[in-house]
Amino acid sequence: MRLRERFRMSGAALACVLAGVLALGGCSLFGDDSGGSSESGGGSAPRSSASPQDIPYDVTPLIKPAKKYYGAAVPGAPISMKNIDAYTAKTGKQPNLIEYYAAWGDGFDATGVRNAWAEGALTLMSWEPFDTSLADIAAGRSDAYIKEYATAVRKLNLPVVMDFADEFNGHWEKWGTHDATPAQYVAAWRHIHQTFVDVGATNVIWAWAPNIVNPVKNVRLKPYYPGDAYVDWIGLVGYFTIGQDNAFDSVFGPTRDEIRTFTRKPMLLLETAAMPGERRRADVRNLFAGVTADDDMLGFIWFDYKKRADWRLEASPLALTEFKRLAADDRFGFDVRKPS
Amino acid sequence: MTSRPEYYTPQPYDPYAEEEQQGGWFNSDGYLPHRPQGHEVPQGYHQAPQGYDTPQDYGVAHGHPVPQEYDTAQGYHQVPQGYDSPQGYHQVPQEYDTAQGHHQVPQEYGIPEGYGYDPGAHAHQQPAGQPAYPGQTAEEEPAAPAEPGYHVPETPEVGWDMAASRRRAWVSRAVLLCVLAVQAVLSLRLANTAFQDEALYLAAGHAELQHLLHGTPLPIDYAAYFSGSPQLYPVLAAAVDDVLGLTGARLLSLAFMLGTTGLLYSFTRRLFNERAALAGAALFAVVQSTVVMGYFATYDAAAVFLLALATWIVVRTDRAPVAAVLLAVPVAVLAVGVKYAAGLYLPTIVVLALLTGWPHQGRKAFLRMLLFALGIGALLAAGMYGTDLMAGVRQTTTDRDHGSDSTAFLLQRSGEWGGLMFLTAVGGAVSYVRRSRMNESPAAQRLGNPGWRWRALLGLVLCGTALLAPAYQIHLGTVVSLFKHVGFGLLFAAPMAGVGVTRLIGAHFRYPQLGIMLWTATLCLGISQADWRFGVWPDSSKMIRVIDSHVDRKGHYLASTPEVPVYYLRDKTSHRQWQGVFALEYTDKKGTYHQGDEAYRAALRDGEFDLIVLDGLTNPRVDTVVADAVKGNPHYRLLADLPFRNSSGTGHYRIWTKTS
Repeated sequence: MRLRERFRMSGAALACVLAGVLALGGCSLFGDDSGGSSESGGGSAPRSSASPQDIPYDVTPLIKPAKKYYGAAVPGAPISMKNIDAYTAKTGKQPNLIEYYAAWGDGFDATGVRNAWAEGALTLMSWEPFDTSLADIAAGRSDAYIKEYATAVRKLNLPVVMDFADEFNGHWEKWGTHDATPAQYVAAWRHIHQTFVDVGATNVIWAWAPNIVNPVKNVRLKPYYPGDAYVDWIGLVGYFTIGQDNAFDSVFGPTRDEIRTFTRKPMLLLETAAMPGERRRADVRNLFAGVTADDDMLGFIWFDYKKRADWRLEASPLALTEFKRLAADDRFGFDVRKPS
Repeated sequence: MTSRPEYYTPQPYDPYAEEEQQGGWFNSDGYLPHRPQGHEVPQGYHQAPQGYDTPQDYGVAHGHPVPQEYDTAQGYHQVPQGYDSPQGYHQVPQEYDTAQGHHQVPQEYGIPEGYGYDPGAHAHQQPAGQPAYPGQTAEEEPAAPAEPGYHVPETPEVGWDMAASRRRAWVSRAVLLCVLAVQAVLSLRLANTAFQDEALYLAAGHAELQHLLHGTPLPIDYAAYFSGSPQLYPVLAAAVDDVLGLTGARLLSLAFMLGTTGLLYSFTRRLFNERAALAGAALFAVVQSTVVMGYFATYDAAAVFLLALATWIVVRTDRAPVAAVLLAVPVAVLAVGVKYAAGLYLPTIVVLALLTGWPHQGRKAFLRMLLFALGIGALLAAGMYGTDLMAGVRQTTTDRDHGSDSTAFLLQRSGEWGGLMFLTAVGGAVSYVRRSRMNESPAAQRLGNPGWRWRALLGLVLCGTALLAPAYQIHLGTVVSLFKHVGFGLLFAAPMAGVGVTRLIGAHFRYPQLGIMLWTATLCLGISQADWRFGVWPDSSKMIRVIDSHVDRKGHYLASTPEVPVYYLRDKTSHRQWQGVFALEYTDKKGTYHQGDEAYRAALRDGEFDLIVLDGLTNPRVDTVVADAVKGNPHYRLLADLPFRNSSGTGHYRIWTKTS
């Protein structure tokens, strides 16, 4: 009977051994993997618990939104939103596109972009290569900087508009027609763009920003155009100035028409304002009317600086009042966090 | 008394002793005697005299030529009859010489009352609830009993019963439950989004379901290129997916695989015994193929389950009327319908119909095999002519494109994924051919065992089946699906692997550590390989969320693995809208026809696709062609770059959207 008992017990013993081996072996094996398996997710459908932040921000709805951008460039913004708040107070509407200027070599101002975003505004950074030639950038001599910059932009994962070396068709800039060729400009642009793409910084809207052709009629724009694959917006830099016709089409029409011969990309008045004075009120009216009339015109950024002239709105109270009235139009301004 | 009585150990048998080869091709009549010669009369006799201080002349008497009568007392000579009456031998040597045959044959040792005598029922084949051997010891009435001077208490030959018992059945089932629990845990700990094959079958299943229920036209002709019928498993899985999602479809596979292990246990138990069955099931439950197929919404789990069921029916009906084997025919054919490659294993089941039937039915087993084969052939032929699946069979199974994977690579992979269990099975088969006995009980020694040819054939068939898939894939030169097909073969090798483990452990659990080591090694390999396998493809959840808002019912899309978005976004897009990276024909706007890489370039030049999703894994060469064509392309903008980590390291999803 002992043998028989032993045989029968052995079955149970085997069960215990199996369970024990699993428990002992399993603990460590399962423990090693716990991080990995929770990371990899799974289940019947892509996980819904993940936050939207873990996928790259999709900027495509912002490239051609239904409403117009209502932008402003004010000193100190967006790192400080104080002047933006003041601008909002005087115009009665919160800008949803804030431009600031950064020199080639500066770090990326992620805090400023976040500040603007927190108030429903997109940041446009005008990147100006004062100390580095376009040829050097195109040749890859700034690659470490570009990569670091692009990585910071990607990591922020909020939409940012970038224009590089604006007013390139003017002779007054260090990267202008006196100092660089169109080919160098295009090569530098494409090189920067490709580096951003390689890093995966897809949250950048690329704005190509020529000065309006009126003062530089002999400079053709097409040779400077990097191509539709590298550009999302055409950003025009142009002002209503005394001494020229203030009709919208007179100021922006020639440039727009020339550009439309080689691209259909949407346009933005990336930097505009009107000289202070009696005519500003009419200029403002023409500005709003011109932007509203053109479906391909995304909006404008008012350059609210006192620089060479006093472009600030408060410089002409009557024009400010008109500006405020026109800005109240629902077609201008929207929360960029909810574009549609 | 001897001077060293403490060394005496009664050894009624030696479980490791070589058994004599028995006559007959299969020796199906089982009770063929162990023909004794004088010198091989049980050793116990030789030892017993020492223990019992038997007089010297016992040896003399024993050495006498065995008379003819003794020889005819078939099978009974092994019963150690002398323990309780050494005196009888001592006192009546003459009678022993002249009439011992009649005296020694114990009447009780004939076929006992109530014992369902089946000449083919080997001791190790234990139908439930039926004692394979009564476990009785013979009692002898000495020819001329002399009153001994002392009394030796009656000692049973064995202290336990090798017959099946309710308790043993429940213990086995408890262990089996543990095995199944381990298998379930190993499968359930796997996690990833749908693999492209899963996505394809489920998406196809949904389309077929819509077609069946509402007459919605199929987006593409799945039957033309599927490796199994799109109307069988995909429809079932899609129905489950509708209710429980991908997890539900995978749980369906888990149920199939647990069922497979259960059936494996059951038919191995019938072929051999519980111990081999549990060992075989325990090994099978932890190999990569079983663990992965148990959480993989593809045909494979269903097909392997149906193969196991067909095998189980064949083994279970070994003693039933020949026609009963036909019960397995629809199951076997269904397995082939579910996955065409399952047909590779039908010859094994056909041969098993012969082998399992032979010991019980003799030559009628050939009829059984023939009937089974004809049944399968007839049903398969009917199925092929009744459906339009032949194109798919040719495309995916018989005329499959030959790959470029080398033989050495495929052998190495096969070895890694199934080698340990296969070697165990080969060891088991060799050991089984050499010694058939499956039970420690001395009673087992006396019962008939299948002949060595039968055993060799069984070992060859079961082990050889495990080689079919690797051999065929080496012929095709492709590693695609090899890990699953290795698992199909291991199902058949598992019984022999079970025998191997029991032999390794030895009688009376002499070396349990060897069995545990083997199982633990298999477990560790299985876990790591299954984890690796489930991490081969990238987690697609982020990719799906990125493209979700860019997909509609009108667009035309290009993707490395179109099946995945087609499955996940089936509510808003159709398979028809998606193009893969393996073949493209394109006629450009000027009417020029392109194919191959040039077709991709021309289509992208024209901005043909509204969305492009590359993973860099599925077809890296074409991915590069596409990425180059998109670079500087005015129609496209990089929408997202999604890094992922998979078994091979890291990679990126790159997604472009058409902007103009």
